[in-house]
Amino acid sequence: MSERIKLLAYLVAIIIASWTTSPAWLTGGLLATLLLCGRDAMRMVRRAIVTTIAFSGIVSAAYAGYRWLAFDTLPLDWLVTVNLRVLLMAMLTFLVIARVNLFQALSVSRRFSFLLVLAVSQSIGLKRVLDEFRMGLHSRSIRPASLRDRYRAVAHAAGWLVDKSLGHAHESAQALKSRGLFK
Amino acid sequence: MHIPDGFIAPQMYLPLYGVAAGLWAFGAKRLSDNLDEATLPWLASLTAASFALSFLALPLPGGTSAHVTGVGLLAASFGFWNAFMAASLVFAIQALLFGDGGITTLPLNALAMGFFGSLSARGAYLFLNPIHRGAALFFAGWTGLVLPSLLIALALGAQPLMASDEKGLPLYFPFGWDITLPALLIPHALLGLGEGVLTLLGGRLIERLRRRYEHV
Repeated sequence: MSERIKLLAYLVAIIIASWTTSPAWLTGGLLATLLLCGRDAMRMVRRAIVTTIAFSGIVSAAYAGYRWLAFDTLPLDWLVTVNLRVLLMAMLTFLVIARVNLFQALSVSRRFSFLLVLAVSQSIGLKRVLDEFRMGLHSRSIRPASLRDRYRAVAHAAGWLVDKSLGHAHESAQALKSRGLFK
Repeated sequence: MHIPDGFIAPQMYLPLYGVAAGLWAFGAKRLSDNLDEATLPWLASLTAASFALSFLALPLPGGTSAHVTGVGLLAASFGFWNAFMAASLVFAIQALLFGDGGITTLPLNALAMGFFGSLSARGAYLFLNPIHRGAALFFAGWTGLVLPSLLIALALGAQPLMASDEKGLPLYFPFGWDITLPALLIPHALLGLGEGVLTLLGGRLIERLRRRYEHV
């Protein structure tokens, strides 16, 4: 199956899952997705939960609390249906990330592929350096940094980020020109 | 915090995809009309900067932090369409390659933050720049965060009206506008102050960098 067809199948599955309101069908979909994940199933479940728990957890707890206080009852149907749907859709996404070459699937044109590869590779590089900046600030301070110091650190990191990005753009443009991609 | 898939009803996200697709096509055409050796690497770098900016944590009193969007900075410094296209690409990369956010919330994020956030930030910047450049940058950052939060609060609060079961209970996001508007607007109006300060500092820095690089 080509990468583009796999991506299309994922999009159809996402739309179907988003329309589904029956816990039984959602559970079935989740089991089928777990089977497709194979040995990676538990790792993907963990990743899906970690990614969605902040929003789902707060909304679920707030809605359960509200229904309990206002109507003396828990919205069990809503809690089960929505959380199963969120988990299923997150699992489908992680399955696609793991099994589909998205660069190939999204290669609708040479220019778009080029843009995507450049953007993603630079994004990963910049994010890694920002993580190092953050760890550097922690490791070089005996006491937690003050609010002023943390603001200065963020401002310097943002400045470095923009400087580096503009430098990347300049270098990539020169590299493209020198290789004859643009006449 | 990203809204995961499953909270936005298809009755909303499918039409939003239609609107967003039209704007993406128009934005891509504008870019390709002016395509030269600088355009693609330039957009890629802007996207990467926007992506990385979203990982910067804005310090808050009490040791906590909130994440920067960078939409105001990009729109004020590099123009509305560049900011919209870069922000949209960032949301797509986050959703499809890293699993952050959702594919069904992509058009809502792209329209609220990318389109209207950039539009309001650029508008505030152009309106205030002749009066005071610092204030123009600050308000670009503030409005680039606050207007999208209003639009997202409206979209989330509309979910119970768009999809409910036979008993009238919600099927997607459960709270109405009475909850979503204050819950999102009040904290974002305050967080916008930090985003405004960062946009002010970043905007001034970009001004200095413009002299160093061509095509910026």
